[in-house]
Amino acid sequence: MVIKKVTEKEKNIRANIRAKNESVIKVEDVYKIYKLDGIEVRALDGVSFDVKKGEYISIMGPSGSGKTTLLDALSTMMNPTSGNIFIEGKNTTAMSPSELAAFRGNKIGFIFQTFNLLPKLSALENVMVPMWINNYPRNLRKKTATEVLEKVGLGDRLHNRPNQMSGGQRQRVAIARALALNPNIIVADEPTGNLDSKSGKNVMELLRKLNEEGKTIVLVTHDLNLGETTDRQIYIKDGKIVSKREDAFGNRFK
Amino acid sequence: MPIDTIFEAIKNLRREGIKTFLTLLGVVIGIMAIVSLASIGAGLSESVTAQFEELGSNTIFIIPSGMGVAKISLTQNDIRNVENIIGVKSVVPIYSTQAKMEFNGKKINVSVNAVEEDKSDLFGGTGYFEVGEGRNFSKNESSSILVGNKIGKDYFDKEINIRKQILINDVAFKVIGILEAQPASFGGAPNSSSVVYMSYEGFKKITDKTDATIIFASSQFKDETSDVAEKIKDYFDKKYGEESVTVSASEQLLDQINVMLGMITLFIMGIGAISLVVGGVGIMNAMLTSVLQRTKEIGTYKALGATSQKILAIFLIEAGLIGLIGGIIGIIFGYATASLIAYIGTESGFALNAIMTSDIIITSLLFSMTIGIVAGILPAIRAANLDPVEALRFE
Repeated sequence: MVIKKVTEKEKNIRANIRAKNESVIKVEDVYKIYKLDGIEVRALDGVSFDVKKGEYISIMGPSGSGKTTLLDALSTMMNPTSGNIFIEGKNTTAMSPSELAAFRGNKIGFIFQTFNLLPKLSALENVMVPMWINNYPRNLRKKTATEVLEKVGLGDRLHNRPNQMSGGQRQRVAIARALALNPNIIVADEPTGNLDSKSGKNVMELLRKLNEEGKTIVLVTHDLNLGETTDRQIYIKDGKIVSKREDAFGNRFK
Repeated sequence: MPIDTIFEAIKNLRREGIKTFLTLLGVVIGIMAIVSLASIGAGLSESVTAQFEELGSNTIFIIPSGMGVAKISLTQNDIRNVENIIGVKSVVPIYSTQAKMEFNGKKINVSVNAVEEDKSDLFGGTGYFEVGEGRNFSKNESSSILVGNKIGKDYFDKEINIRKQILINDVAFKVIGILEAQPASFGGAPNSSSVVYMSYEGFKKITDKTDATIIFASSQFKDETSDVAEKIKDYFDKKYGEESVTVSASEQLLDQINVMLGMITLFIMGIGAISLVVGGVGIMNAMLTSVLQRTKEIGTYKALGATSQKILAIFLIEAGLIGLIGGIIGIIFGYATASLIAYIGTESGFALNAIMTSDIIITSLLFSMTIGIVAGILPAIRAANLDPVEALRFE
């Protein structure tokens, strides 16, 4: 997969801008500990980091490293065993499940590896799902959904069902759904994992475009090439953040 | 919010097509059974009530206990004594016997009913029968008879026409009328289509029997009817012993019959309700399967901001809707079935009638919806409690 890499100069310019921005996501000493057959498993073992407004970062690590758990925690899908997670200044670990659901629905857009579209609904109806869940004004739903689908290049596929579309198109419907309520944060879990390289490249370009428009994006991947197209990488291994990619992945990719 | 959830539930049901249809079927059959039975039951109760209203509410029935094998007879003496009880306005004894009827060279056995000449309009007035062809009795007609529809049309090789001569126990009678075909009815009136009616004067020519089969008495005042019935009962109890003669005011009798009908209807409806419970188990099964199949979808809903309450509501509404829609279809089919049964029944001689009341509709809709929701509770709770992270990655 050939994806345009951001030059060092561009990265520096962005980094300088961001340094002045406030944190959109603040992960503070987060632990997630499971008991599995009586054995303690530390999926997250004291993780702390910040994501600034408008940043495009990737969380990378081999399978079993805890990156998915970290994504679940920072996207408020899962409560950590201890530690705090602040999204746009609000401590999500202190919220009730209902508050959390509403908060998540409006603040975070999700993109999944397996798209998670509803198979019997058209592209338009799929994009409208978060709208009825989050009580978006009824009379604006169709218009807004059409707009976001046009934005991802599917203006001519509004009434197609997922099984009438290619994988790349499906993922773009999913991206349109993530944008439906115009959240500031997008989390993408292996968004190209089920796509061929050309569709994958399209999706990555779309994410870059969204970032340039001001969205904060957190990408989770085990694919180094993909992860390193983002502005900043967080490497994770055995539930801990490590500073270098070699610490996470070994020397395989040297 | 609820509107959206209801729309979404409807959409989900439509997506599931065949499965929804089969689940519905369970409810439809249950409700159909209950509604058709309730409808027939209500029809029966209504027609019985109507028959009693024709008799008049101050009528008192006096019948020897143990129909057919009665130990005692109502003698002429009894008739006179009842007439003399204070409050009694009139007494009409009905006499009946089996007799040989001869026509066109063929002899058959028939039931003969008779009433005293000056009281002969009692028959017509109570809806006992209606004269189809010909006319009813007038005065001094000891040689005239009315023949039931079946006797007139079917019993002999040749149809009996009015003005024909007929021998009954070797006595000659003239047919003055043929009765209207009448469905069998509940509440007392015997089937008039295989019976011959004549005056008591005629009756005395064919038999020596002077005892009445039934006595209809009427009270002077409507609100005294029960008291008068009580006095008549005392007379018979004293003369023949307790419970030897059944004396009932028409309203009491109507109440008794309605209570009995209600019990029978309820019992059969109970059996229908069991099938509805089975329908409910069907809903629960379908919803549980649905929760399993849609685990990933539920996870997605949660990621997109759905609260557990919303997931709970979706599934409860879906189950409730299955109950409600099944109920509506069941009522329609149930009424259709009842009408069909009533039609077939009437054709074959039973006075059945299908009736739809708002009570039946409201009760069965509430019942079917409740069954749906109750059956949906467990699956809905299961869906609502799914862990979002696990549900999202469920394969």
